[in-house]
Amino acid sequence: MEYQPPVSDRLIRRLQWIWVGGAFLLVGGFIAWIVHLIVASWRLDDVIQASVGISIVAIPIFLVFMGVIFYVFWGVTLHGRKRED
Amino acid sequence: MAHERDDHEDILLAPIERTGPGFYWAVAFLSLLILWGAIAYSVQYTQGLGVTGLHQPVGWGFYVTNFVFFIGISHAGTLISAILRLSKAEWRRPITRMAEVITCMVIFIGAGQILVDLGRPDRMMNVLHHGRYQSPLLWDATSISAYLMASLTYLYLPMIPDIAILRDRLSKRKLFYSVLALGWTGTEHQQRVLNRAIAIMAVLVIPIAVSVHSVVSFVFSMTLQPAWHSTIFGPYFVVGAIFSGIAGLIVTMIIFRKAYGLHYYLKPIHFRYLGQLLLIMALLWFYFTFAEYLTGYYGAEPEEMKVFWAKFSGPFSPFFWSMVLCNFVIPLLCLTSLRQHTVGKVLFASLAIIIGMWLERFVIVVPTLSYPRLPFPEGVYAPTWVEWGETAGSVGLFALFYLLFTKFFPIISIWEMREGREKSVREVEERILTYLPGEVAEKP
Amino acid sequence: MALWGMVIDLDRCTGCQACVMACKAENNVPAVGAEEAKRGRVISWMQVLTETDEEHHASKTRFIPRPCLQCDDPPCTKVCPVYATYRNPEGIVAQIYDRCIGCRFCMAACPYNAKYFNWFSYQKEAPGQNPDVSLREKGVVEKCTFCHHRLQNARERALAEKRQFDPAEYVPACAEACPAKAIVFGDLADPASEVAQLARSPRAFKLQEELGTKPKVIYLTEGEGSGS
Repeated sequence: MEYQPPVSDRLIRRLQWIWVGGAFLLVGGFIAWIVHLIVASWRLDDVIQASVGISIVAIPIFLVFMGVIFYVFWGVTLHGRKRED
Repeated sequence: MAHERDDHEDILLAPIERTGPGFYWAVAFLSLLILWGAIAYSVQYTQGLGVTGLHQPVGWGFYVTNFVFFIGISHAGTLISAILRLSKAEWRRPITRMAEVITCMVIFIGAGQILVDLGRPDRMMNVLHHGRYQSPLLWDATSISAYLMASLTYLYLPMIPDIAILRDRLSKRKLFYSVLALGWTGTEHQQRVLNRAIAIMAVLVIPIAVSVHSVVSFVFSMTLQPAWHSTIFGPYFVVGAIFSGIAGLIVTMIIFRKAYGLHYYLKPIHFRYLGQLLLIMALLWFYFTFAEYLTGYYGAEPEEMKVFWAKFSGPFSPFFWSMVLCNFVIPLLCLTSLRQHTVGKVLFASLAIIIGMWLERFVIVVPTLSYPRLPFPEGVYAPTWVEWGETAGSVGLFALFYLLFTKFFPIISIWEMREGREKSVREVEERILTYLPGEVAEKP
Repeated sequence: MALWGMVIDLDRCTGCQACVMACKAENNVPAVGAEEAKRGRVISWMQVLTETDEEHHASKTRFIPRPCLQCDDPPCTKVCPVYATYRNPEGIVAQIYDRCIGCRFCMAACPYNAKYFNWFSYQKEAPGQNPDVSLREKGVVEKCTFCHHRLQNARERALAEKRQFDPAEYVPACAEACPAKAIVFGDLADPASEVAQLARSPRAFKLQEELGTKPKVIYLTEGEGSGS
C-alpha cells in the first residue's frame, strides 16, 4: 500500500460530533414542529384533539430515535474503545 | 479479531473500488429520464398545473397515483429487513441492505410527488408554519417523516461495521468512512450495543411502516366519496404496499446481481423464498380486492355502482382488468412452482406486479373523481407528456440515487454474511435442538 | 350571531343562468377561454346543473343552481392542511387565496364539486372588474363566498352612517339578479326572516342531506302544478 498521511483523529472525532449532533437536531426539530402545530391549533381554536392525539404517538417515537442515536454514539464511539474485551 | 478474508468479498467491494463503462452508460440513460422530468416540471412550474390532463372534476391523477405507488414500494425494506430479522430468518442476510436502501431512496421520491402536485409549491412552507393536524395530509407528513428517520437509522446502523471495513481496506475517501464508522473496532461491547440498537429499530420500524401506508390511504378514505369512504382502505393499502415492495425488491436484486456479478451471494433459493412471499401477498391482495368490490356490489348503492361499473365494464375496464391480470393471474401462474427457472419466473411476475400495482393506485384515484355525485358535465382524464415525463424522471431519479449508493457502500452486508457463516450455523442448530423433544434444561 | 343561508325554489327556476353571469361579473370569475373550457376547466362559482329524469328523458329536466352550499359541517375544511379554508362564525365557508397551496384536497372532498381550481393564470387586471373582490393567481382554489364582500360593505356603510346594519341590505349577486326571484337569501338564525320561513316549508329539501354536511342552501322541490 502506498503511504497515506494519517487522517487526524481529532478531525474525525469533531466531524462525528457534527454528524450525530446534526441527526439529533433533525429529530429534535420534528418534535419542535409538532409542538408548534399543537400551539397553533390551540390559538386558532381549531380541532386541538387531532394535534394532541397525533403528538401522543409521534413524539415518543421521535424521542426513541434520539435515544437510539445517543445510545449508539455513546456505546460505539465515545466509550467503545475503552471496553475492549 | 481476525476474519478469514473471503476472496468473494472482493466482489462486494469491487463496485466501490472500480467503475466500469456500464455505470456511465446507466448514468447517461437515467440522466435523460431525469432531464425529461426536469423539463416537464419546469414547464409546469412556470405555466401552472393546466399543462397536465387534470380538470374539473378529476383534480388528482398521475402525481397522486405516483405518490401512493412510490410510498408503497418503500415497504420492501421494512418487511424484509425488520420482520425477517426479528423472526431470525437466515436467508435475509444478503438481501437486507438492498431492501433498506430502496426504502430510504424511494421515500424521497414519493414525498416529492406531492410537492410536484401542489398548485403553489412556493408555498410549501405553509405546511410547516400553518399545518392542521385534522387534515390527513399532515398525518402523512408526520408519518412519512418518522418513517424516513427510522429507515435512515435502520439502514445506517447495520452499515457501521461495513463502513469500518471500507475505512480499513480502502485508500480513498478515508475521512468520509472514518467519520461515518463512528470509531467502530468490532469489540464485544460495541457489537452488543449495535445489535441492541438494531433490534430496537427493527421493532419500531414495523408499526411506523404500517402507519405510513394506512395514513396514505386515509387521504382517500376520510372523504365521503363513493368507493373511497371504505374502512378496508388502511389494511388494503398496507398489503398492497408490501406486495409492490417485494416485487420492486426482486427486480432491483436481479438487476444488481447481473450488473455486479453477485451470483455467489444471491442464489436461486433467495428468489424462491421471495417468490413464495410474493405469491402469499398476491393471494392476500386478491382477497382484499375481492372483499372490497363484493361489498360495494352487494350493497348496490347507486353512487358506488356508477364507479363500480366504470371499472368493471366502463371506460376504466382496460386498466382494471389489466390490474387483475398483472396482480393475480400472472403471479399465480408464475409463482406456484418455483423449482425450475426460478429467477426468470420471479422476475416476470415482479415486473407484472409493479405495473399492476401502479394500475391499482390509478384505478383507485381516478374513477371515483370522474363520477361526481351531482349531475356534472363529465370529463375524461388523459395524462399529458408532462405527467409521463414527471413519472419517468421520478423513476430515473430513484434509480440514480440507488446506483450512486452502491458506488459508496457495499450493497450486500459484508459483516452480516460473515456472521452468518461463522456464528449462525451453530446458533440455528442449537435453536432447532431446543424445539425437539427432551428435558427442559435448568437455567444456570 | 347571524347564520347566512339561501333558499332556491326549483319551481321558479327557469334555467336562464342569470345568476351564473351575475356571479361571474360580481366576483371577477375569469373566463378561461374556449380551449380550456373544452378541457373541462370552466370556473363557475354558481353553476346550473341539469338533471334529467331517468324514466322520462325528454319531458322532465330539472335545473339546479348550485352555489357553494356553505355547509355547517364542511367536509372541505376538515381536510385542508393549511387553514386556507375555514367556516367563519356566521356560517360562511371562507377561502383564503394567499394561504392556499393548491393541493386540491378540498376539491376531492367536496361532495358537491363546489370548488374550482386555477389551472393557469386565468386572471389579469382589466377595466370593469369589481374592486371589492381580489383576483386569484394560478394554483389556488376558489369558490362561492355568498358575496361576502357585500356583507362587509353593508356593515361598513351602516357603521359610517351610524345606524344598525339591516340584514336585508346584504344580498348576493345571484339572488339579486334572478328574474324569477327563485333565490332568497337571509339570516337562517332569525325565525322571522323570509329565508328561515321558506326553509321550514314542506317542499324544502337539502342536496345529499344523508351525508351529514348540513348545507345552508336549501332547495324547494317542484310543487303539484309542475306535472310530477
